[in-house]
Amino acid sequence: MTMRWRPGPIFIILAIAAFIPLLDQVLPAKMQLSEAIRGVFLYAILALGLNVVTGYAGLLNLGIAAFMAIGAYTFGILTCEIYPFQLGFWPAIALTIPIGALAGFILGAPTLGLRGDYLAIVTLGFGEIVQDVLKNLDVVTKGTQGINPLPAPNFGGGEWTAEDEYKWYYLFFVLLVLTVLAIRNLERSRLGRAWFSIREDEIASRSMGIRVERIKMIAFATAAAIAAFAGGLSASVLSSTGEPSNYDFQISILALCIVIVGGIGSIAGVLVGALVMVGLNSIVLVKATAWMAAHGIGGQGNVLLSPNNWKYLIFGLALILAVRLKPNGLLPPRIERAHK
Amino acid sequence: MSVLRADGVTVRFGGLVAVQDVRFAVEQGEIYAVIGPNGAGKTTLFNAVTGIYAPTEGRVEFNGKEQVEPLTVRIIARLLATFFVVGVSTVIGLNIETIWTAVIIDNYKFGELFPWGHGIECFFSTLWNLPPAKSILPFLLGGGIGAGAAAVSWSRGRRAPDHIARSGVARTFQNIRLFNELSLVQNVLVGMDYRMETGFWSALFRLPKFYAERSQCHAAARELLQFVGLGDRADQAAGSLPYGFRRRLEIARALAGKPSIILLDEPAAGMNPSEIVALMALIRRVRDAGTTVVLIEHHMRLVMGVSDRILVLQYGRQIAEGIPEEIRVNPKIIEAYLGSENHG
Repeated sequence: MTMRWRPGPIFIILAIAAFIPLLDQVLPAKMQLSEAIRGVFLYAILALGLNVVTGYAGLLNLGIAAFMAIGAYTFGILTCEIYPFQLGFWPAIALTIPIGALAGFILGAPTLGLRGDYLAIVTLGFGEIVQDVLKNLDVVTKGTQGINPLPAPNFGGGEWTAEDEYKWYYLFFVLLVLTVLAIRNLERSRLGRAWFSIREDEIASRSMGIRVERIKMIAFATAAAIAAFAGGLSASVLSSTGEPSNYDFQISILALCIVIVGGIGSIAGVLVGALVMVGLNSIVLVKATAWMAAHGIGGQGNVLLSPNNWKYLIFGLALILAVRLKPNGLLPPRIERAHK
Repeated sequence: MSVLRADGVTVRFGGLVAVQDVRFAVEQGEIYAVIGPNGAGKTTLFNAVTGIYAPTEGRVEFNGKEQVEPLTVRIIARLLATFFVVGVSTVIGLNIETIWTAVIIDNYKFGELFPWGHGIECFFSTLWNLPPAKSILPFLLGGGIGAGAAAVSWSRGRRAPDHIARSGVARTFQNIRLFNELSLVQNVLVGMDYRMETGFWSALFRLPKFYAERSQCHAAARELLQFVGLGDRADQAAGSLPYGFRRRLEIARALAGKPSIILLDEPAAGMNPSEIVALMALIRRVRDAGTTVVLIEHHMRLVMGVSDRILVLQYGRQIAEGIPEEIRVNPKIIEAYLGSENHG
């Protein structure tokens, strides 16, 4: 079967993303995009993980941030100089993946027999419990202080600093591309098909010999692994795990909104969704605030005239509009996707 | 030996007896029909056979074996391992602060090399020196709960539909259950899934055997769609198929795993006469290809036309069994369908 290769939406989005730093060279300093886009990449990786469990296998997971926290603290404990492990960036970031998967397995094993809403409630509770554990396990996690400082990646030329913006950008870009590739490979395989079949009709898949529990477990652990990976990256770029409440329900909901707005079960959709939901906050609103302040509109005193404060308003509006006008998301998955 | 044998199968839902003491045996290469008025328990019987319900009494055998996952040494070993791992994790989790302090905090001097050997010694000595209330008790409690839950979920899944399907028993559904958002090929491939051998890692890294299996399975799926007459629609979504074709797709999906027996639940429901004629030919072809067929059907021309033997159910009990010619003239069956002449 020789098919002429045509660039798909995923390829086009990633190709455009690869040139953002070049665009920054010509844009005025205040309009620079790459730092904000880097944040979009991070949430895109997190949402890609959530997309595996919620989009492909149809299991609503409201606690994905907990796995992000587990990844961040794993990275923190393994790298920070207050503990004896002191691994470098690469081994530590690689270890967040199996540890995240293990955490997913531990949560999944007793709960995956639950149906729909009940599972969602359990994952929600798990998200809260992880935060509380991290807050109170002072000896290990340093409580609300968080673990810091954490090392940045090192390619022999000394550690990166915040100045090395483009290095960070391309590191995140490459890791996002690798995540996309990995998920795409799983999606277009026997496993991905089994995930879809469970989402569509669990009884029918079971009667076709699909081992539903096992397939669900793999989805759960894969999602947890990817979320933990995103958590490790975020800890590395911030040089701190931050405090436990950085990984609260808001983050889980943001990831879920990215998946819903972008298109449930679609990789390209998740990428676009991350751009819309995160980019709106960290690019459009921030730049608009800066612009208005520079031109003397709004400013101090009037909170309503500062676009930064519109964040949740626009967030809700985007969600309502998406569900009303594009119920399948901005870039819904295509039927033909997996027959190649 | 019979391909399928039901021996005194009874299914009760609370006080309601849906199927009572049904016995039959289906021979290799047969087309066997189950008929009866609505609510006679035909679908319940199918569900009991395929593991969606567990029969309250009686047994179901395929090729002389009851399809219950056996309790092997491996499973006992797995339960013991679960007990140990969950137990130890409970103890460590409960005492994590003590252990972390004793192993890491007390031994690590900032800037110095960590004495790993000593750290590991500390880990075990801390574990041993825990008071029983914080060690042996949580170990037994945690391990017990973990292994107990694992044992319960294992025993519930012993006779699960996936296990029965994997032993070569395929089925279709009365209310069609296709994967509507997947293409026809994909639907068939789901049915083929348990025959496939490549796993997670070969899909993730696209190993050569992944490609080999994929092209092989896709070709087989297309061939099967050709066989049921859907070859030219292979890549469209199952949800966009006209009704009559959906039942064919369900049959193709059920055949994909090369089952030794296929159970069709009202395959002709909603079909027009010409579609029914084509369906009869298809059922015969399935049988001729070596698969034993059991079907539930109301459409008498189809039943009488293709079946080798017929089982009649009424109110959950079997009231007759025999070849079509016998069933056709059996007064009990005419009564069951049309009602008795002497009322009152």
